[in-house]
Amino acid sequence: MMGALRIAHLTPTFFSDASVIGGGERYVDYLVRALATTGGFIQDVVSIGTAASTRSIAHATLRVFVNDAPRAGAMGGVSASLREAIGDYDLVHIHQSLTTSGAYCTALARSAGVPAVGTDLGGGADELMLRRGGIELLDGVISISDFAHRLLGGAFTGRAEVMIGPVDTDAFAPDPAVARDPRMVLCVGRILPHKGVDRIIDALPPDLTLVVLGRVYDEAYHALLLDRAQGRDVRFVHDADDAALLGFYRRAAILVQASTARDVYGRAIEKPELMGLTTLEAMACGLPAIVSDAGSLPELVPDPRFGRVFSTRDDLAALLGAVAEGRWPDPGAASLARDHVVATHGMVAIGERLAAFYRAVHAAPRWGR
Amino acid sequence: MRILVVSNLFPPVVIGGYELGCAKAAAGLRGRGHDVRVLTTWSHLPRHAEALPGEVRRLDLPWLIPERPADRGAQAWLDYAAMCSSLPNTMALLDELRAFRPDVVYAWNLVGIGGAALVDLLDISGLPWVWHLMDRAPADIMASVTDGIGGLFGQGLRALRRGKVIAMSRHLVDEIEYVADDAFPIPVEIIPGWADAADTLPHLPYLRGGVARFVTAGAMHAHKGIDLILEASRMLKSEGLRFEVDLFGAGEVSHYIGLAQSLQVQDVVRFHGPRTQQELMRLYRSYDAFLFPTHEREPFGFAPIEAAAAATPPIMTANCGAAERLVGGVHCLKIPRSAEALAGAMRQVAARAVDIARVGRAARRLVEEDLSFRRCLDRIEAVLRETSSKPSVRRVDDPSLTALAFLKHNLSVRLRFG
Repeated sequence: MMGALRIAHLTPTFFSDASVIGGGERYVDYLVRALATTGGFIQDVVSIGTAASTRSIAHATLRVFVNDAPRAGAMGGVSASLREAIGDYDLVHIHQSLTTSGAYCTALARSAGVPAVGTDLGGGADELMLRRGGIELLDGVISISDFAHRLLGGAFTGRAEVMIGPVDTDAFAPDPAVARDPRMVLCVGRILPHKGVDRIIDALPPDLTLVVLGRVYDEAYHALLLDRAQGRDVRFVHDADDAALLGFYRRAAILVQASTARDVYGRAIEKPELMGLTTLEAMACGLPAIVSDAGSLPELVPDPRFGRVFSTRDDLAALLGAVAEGRWPDPGAASLARDHVVATHGMVAIGERLAAFYRAVHAAPRWGR
Repeated sequence: MRILVVSNLFPPVVIGGYELGCAKAAAGLRGRGHDVRVLTTWSHLPRHAEALPGEVRRLDLPWLIPERPADRGAQAWLDYAAMCSSLPNTMALLDELRAFRPDVVYAWNLVGIGGAALVDLLDISGLPWVWHLMDRAPADIMASVTDGIGGLFGQGLRALRRGKVIAMSRHLVDEIEYVADDAFPIPVEIIPGWADAADTLPHLPYLRGGVARFVTAGAMHAHKGIDLILEASRMLKSEGLRFEVDLFGAGEVSHYIGLAQSLQVQDVVRFHGPRTQQELMRLYRSYDAFLFPTHEREPFGFAPIEAAAAATPPIMTANCGAAERLVGGVHCLKIPRSAEALAGAMRQVAARAVDIARVGRAARRLVEEDLSFRRCLDRIEAVLRETSSKPSVRRVDDPSLTALAFLKHNLSVRLRFG
């Protein structure tokens, strides 16, 4: 491809059973797909693993280098081989930039004079990057929400942009043939205290059904939820695959995302919901959303016609009461929600913004080459 | 040319020929009109009156410390700073690069001052630089760059791909590549050790009074072959041969005085302590041969060449670095490294079995023609000039380099000790 920019997405883990199946890894996968919608780029996903390998994945090549710090944890992976490899690219995008791995890649990119863009995906808050000037070595920062950008605390003063998404709005789309259950309230997320599922159960009116979709990562919290759900219409689904998830998005009446900055045990959560991808996916399926005021969630629902924000249990109870009584959302909310996600957070929308950002950074890197 | 010399040690603090060679080259380049600045470590000794005005003693030396902490963690920390990364030294080099704005950086021994990080900084600064090797410093430094740290500072000899390397012998190059298990990614210029025959006086008659006079100079340590000299002396004394051995240098002198006593050679072997290079050059004329049964990995060795300049031929280990330049039986006597072989060669000299005067004259001619300081400096100057004239992207004014050095140092510490 003549004149195409060679991009490396540097990530300590990649979206695969061989690495990690998680939101951060899926984000990189989505970003590759978004950029591929624009053309003009050759993309590699460059990561760390137990064995070196190279293989094709959708829209990119996956290059895995051997981890030279295997005891350092998933976000501490480094590989000396990256020193040479990084010179193969016109620009690198460092995902999980506020981790040891991110700091390492930042140092290598700057050493090689390769322009580097960084994104914090919640994997850490590395002091060298955040408070000792490391992040300033980046040529650009893409934050996955305003909230995520604010968490940088002004540590980065270069070119920056907030891009919430992308969401695969082709896969996550409503199905007119599937009837919605006006009583079904859906909650999607791992069973962890900071997800605030207890708050939804507590606020649930008697005439609504709550379906909680997510794997159990905290047994004690799961037990607490089961206890609180006694006498209420609450159903837990822990083994839903992608197809089942999509089915629930299409059948439910409303999504509730209740993540909290202080969990039911009183513990403060440092980075609750940097982006909230499931909320956007639900909205892409035509599902209006009620979200908490934690983290980035309010940014996802800028229009009260398809999204509401709550702060307290009483707020949530009132909103759910309106749903139970049919006072909210209006019938057109589903289309509004989807249209908003497609236009603002969809693959093409984000792909175009990402391409423009990469080109701008490449054309005028902050520190030269 | 504006030349920034970087060296771990610089006179008056010296271990051996490496530092003296650095000082000689720096002075020689200055004498040819170049603007030479020397970035080196502090000195606990008084400066010489003839010290270069361009000395900048800003570097710390977490190496060669007489009193090291007993704590192993603290020792590991010092060793790491010495071989891999010392942030104050990296910052000091960056400051000098920016302040002095050299046309070329001329690095000497970088062991002991965080050499891996310094090499990396020179690499990414884009400035032309030359590394003059008189020891296996790259191999020792790169051995400290383990695992992921290699990504930060460069791994193996490949880290030198943007520099230029001068080595004093092929033997040294081979040893570095063997120890590092890697190959230099760039051609290496071989410039031998040197001496100035002009600094010597005419040789006195050989074997005066039927007594063979041997000399050695350097560090008084086993790897220099001091044990072998004493043992060979014991053998020759038991044969009734008339000879003397004078040893000049510091080191484990008291140990060797005791050993000489126990071998009952104290009457023919004398320890004189260290002398300056100039003093030794004047002393060599009165000896019949210079003893150099050094270890095989001796990179070169200035002392035998200086003796050769005075027409005092060396008896030397056959496969040490300097042996590349001298032909056995013509400019020197070459021996396998053993007391028996050394005694055999000394016996040949004392018994006039070799024409030591002829060998001495040939050795002096070789130094005058091939190993003179002037000739070596010509070649050094040419390498520096050629390197400095190559086009390069100079990033030394990139303000991010300071933060980058800080990040790399701290990450490397995390990877090493975290």
